[in-house]
Amino acid sequence: MSVTARSRIKSPWLFHLNTGSCNGCDLEIVAALTPRYDVERLGCVLVGSPRHADVLLVTGPVTRQMLPRVIRVYEQVPEPKVVVAIGSCASSGSPFLGSQMIEGPLDKIIPVDVYVAGCPPRPEAIVMGIVTAVKRKFG
Amino acid sequence: MNTIVALLATFPIVFFFSLLFEGIDRKIHARMQKRIGPPIIQPFYDFIKLFNKERIVPVTAASGIFTAVPIIAAAVSILGAAIPVVNLITGTSIVGDLILVLYLLAMSSVMVMIGGSSSGNPYGAIGFSRKMTMMIAYEIPMLISIASLSFNPCFSLAYYDVVATQIRMKSLLAFTRLSMAVAAATFLLCVPAAADAVPFDISEAKTEIIHGSLIEYGGPYLALIKLAKAASNFTLAFLAATLFFYVPALFEGYVSLGLGVALCLCLVTSLIFMLLTTTVPRTIFARLKIGQAFKFYWLIPLTLSMLSVALSIVGL
Repeated sequence: MSVTARSRIKSPWLFHLNTGSCNGCDLEIVAALTPRYDVERLGCVLVGSPRHADVLLVTGPVTRQMLPRVIRVYEQVPEPKVVVAIGSCASSGSPFLGSQMIEGPLDKIIPVDVYVAGCPPRPEAIVMGIVTAVKRKFG
Repeated sequence: MNTIVALLATFPIVFFFSLLFEGIDRKIHARMQKRIGPPIIQPFYDFIKLFNKERIVPVTAASGIFTAVPIIAAAVSILGAAIPVVNLITGTSIVGDLILVLYLLAMSSVMVMIGGSSSGNPYGAIGFSRKMTMMIAYEIPMLISIASLSFNPCFSLAYYDVVATQIRMKSLLAFTRLSMAVAAATFLLCVPAAADAVPFDISEAKTEIIHGSLIEYGGPYLALIKLAKAASNFTLAFLAATLFFYVPALFEGYVSLGLGVALCLCLVTSLIFMLLTTTVPRTIFARLKIGQAFKFYWLIPLTLSMLSVALSIVGL
């Protein structure tokens, strides 16, 4: 494995994007970042700007209002990047599927690398999702 | 000519140690929070990863300034870190190089500020104005604390002269005179603000103004800015450890230490100073408001620096 690939796997910086989620998944992401799970040991840091990020954590079924913003944030993340759909809504649209207010699920809009199922998913599952996505894409 | 070659040869050393120090800082920070923490070489991973990412320049940015600034910041702060190291190794110095080092340190902060204001992002502009206020707060006491060295007879603003004086006196500068102890305290109090560590990281508060000046930077530009910050933190710690607390001076008179051992002792001391002035405050304190930080710097360190000048003039 090249030094660059190893560095990419070892340092995934996360950006959290809420696209109309009920806040359940967002809380679980925050829980996954606490010292109990300590994602910094995997090199993960939560960054505030998509320009610093490598991994886009998207929650929620993409609402009509959020559609242009999702695309814009996705384009603001510099290549190479990974998208992880967190929770059932982002993965499949879940109970909102077919609603006229919803433009999702996420993979209709931007390419998704890993789906983390659950309503909401456990923090362990989110950490696992990030690690899997990064290894699959950069490894 | 030889000095320039030595200076260039020091660049990789400075690069390595500034990133290593940042890694140790992050590890100790994590251990103090009962976490495992990132590996010590994490900053190297971050640097290589960021350096190999896509370059994005926002449409709103003044692209010339925006792209030039990170390169200047990294070059200037690595040069600032290399000058003391090279002077220590070669045992020579240029007159007034301490002023040059302080200028280069301030220059790298100014460059990051300009980058933020040229990004066209309102948060970048807020970061600019906050960093400006912080620089007015901490630069003055810091400059006075260094300048007070020259108020004493037999000291000058040449870096190696100060080190050589400590070797001659077989003692640490901060312990020889009261004025120097006060100056050392002032300098150490100014280090966290100059390093943008947490109680004083108001200019790039992540949860408040989303990294401030750095908000629009990504990829290689961000890598260079992070490197510049790591190098200036290294410089600050190294200056504190060699100007005021040159530990090898305690042994020099009795046994002749090799250059390598002396340099290692200096690096260990600067690591300890970095942990005390950056890591510990950033773990135990929460972020201050800009007014509080400004008040603190103009109350305590500025008074201390004035005191150190007064004591020097009196001759203590």
